[in-house]
Amino acid sequence: MKKITLIASVLLFFFTAVASAHGPVRQKAEEQITINAPAEKVWALIKNFGDMSWHPDIFNTTADGGNKKGATRVLTLKDGGTIKEEMKKYDEAKMSYAYKIIEMSTAKTITHAGVEEKVPVLPVDNYSATIEVEAKGDTSVVNWTAGYYRAYTNNNPPVEMNEETANAAVAAILKTGLINLKTLAEK
Amino acid sequence: MKRKVVMITVATTFFTLPLAAAPFAYISNQLDDSISIIDTKKNKVVDTITVSGKPAGVAVAPAGDRVYISTPEAKGFAVLDVKKREIIAKVPVSDGALGIAAGIDGKRIYVADWYNDKVDVIDADNLRIIKSIPVGNSPSGLVVSPDNRWLYVANRLSDSVSKISLNKLAINKTTLVGSHPFGLTIDARGERIYVANVQSDDVTVVETSRMLPIATVKVNMLPYAAALALNDSRLFVTNQDDGSVSVIDTATLKEIGLIEVGNKPEGISTHPDDRHVYVANWFDSTVSVIDAKTLQVIDTIKTGNGSRAFGQFFGK
Repeated sequence: MKKITLIASVLLFFFTAVASAHGPVRQKAEEQITINAPAEKVWALIKNFGDMSWHPDIFNTTADGGNKKGATRVLTLKDGGTIKEEMKKYDEAKMSYAYKIIEMSTAKTITHAGVEEKVPVLPVDNYSATIEVEAKGDTSVVNWTAGYYRAYTNNNPPVEMNEETANAAVAAILKTGLINLKTLAEK
Repeated sequence: MKRKVVMITVATTFFTLPLAAAPFAYISNQLDDSISIIDTKKNKVVDTITVSGKPAGVAVAPAGDRVYISTPEAKGFAVLDVKKREIIAKVPVSDGALGIAAGIDGKRIYVADWYNDKVDVIDADNLRIIKSIPVGNSPSGLVVSPDNRWLYVANRLSDSVSKISLNKLAINKTTLVGSHPFGLTIDARGERIYVANVQSDDVTVVETSRMLPIATVKVNMLPYAAALALNDSRLFVTNQDDGSVSVIDTATLKEIGLIEVGNKPEGISTHPDDRHVYVANWFDSTVSVIDAKTLQVIDTIKTGNGSRAFGQFFGK
């Protein structure tokens, strides 16, 4: 009986997943790393919104507005794609800031359901993230979290723009960044 | 003899407490496919019920015996029996079932369909669709007037609110509000609705008899939903992207406070005591309890992953 229920749930999931709604289901990513360096040192590496050289996937950053709310930065990726982000909240005392993606270049164009779809460099929509350094004695813990939707906003997404693709891409960015931040801070 | 009576009374009180407990809050955890039931006397989760289909919207039946939970990925809603703490029905409605509300008389359930631009009217007894009412684009929040004559719906992509006659089951009037209205609430006299506009970062106050916007109050980043407390004197609005709740004095229509809550606050409802406001923090998977008088967060309750609780989530 239990098995039948499970199969039924899987089937139900399969059939409803292809028709899931952009509005209702936002995705979440959370990554954390412990760094053997004081929080101040780690914070100094990431505190300037206009400098994302600590992330190995970012080739260049140009910025406007410093660390104030409303400040923007354009990240150029190693492969040439660009992501424009806006500062939403900056808290020096808490060693934390939150920002949003406001524009992205197109990585490729695909045809799905007879319509041309532009896949953004980061295959997500409505992406916002928070990065925070927490002091733990002489060491620190960095939390990097993001909330976002898949890139395809209608029913029945192509694989390039579905939840799995979005989740994998975001997790990769957060992980790669935190691992490199640890390397830099522990030097 | 006297002593014995007192003891019996005490014992009875003790054993009946769980049944006559303080009101419960029903919080949908969208990423966990579950509902957290919070006993508001202890401010603790006392039970977690599995609800598949990415539960989002919540509406408690006026009698307090049932909770209706919209499940967008299951294209409908689930019915929770409060006493049994079991899902007793799953009702297919349509593709984008999200916003949900219960009629004041308990006889009907209203479901907004995000994709198909309609509100479905469901008979609460036999759970059948009575009628589909075409509304604006991407309808989201729903609220029923206290006299049960009107249903208000926020049409997110039409930047409008429609007033639906529950007698005729047809739109009576539609008015433009701010950009991308999502959640809305109504005062006890049914004279005003307050609409949170996600994109314009403000709240539109609409006078209901003429459907006339009488004020726009700036709040913070990405306001999501709103709730009234303290005899409708204060309005609380969740600001998703700011991790805060804006407090508006409804007499002056000015923001009088900003309360820091968890990350990505979404659903908000006022406890039946009219003093405590509960906020579901989507990212943190917690519920913040705000004292509407002191404007302090007095408790934070761990719930399930992706707490959303969009709608009126307090039971009895």
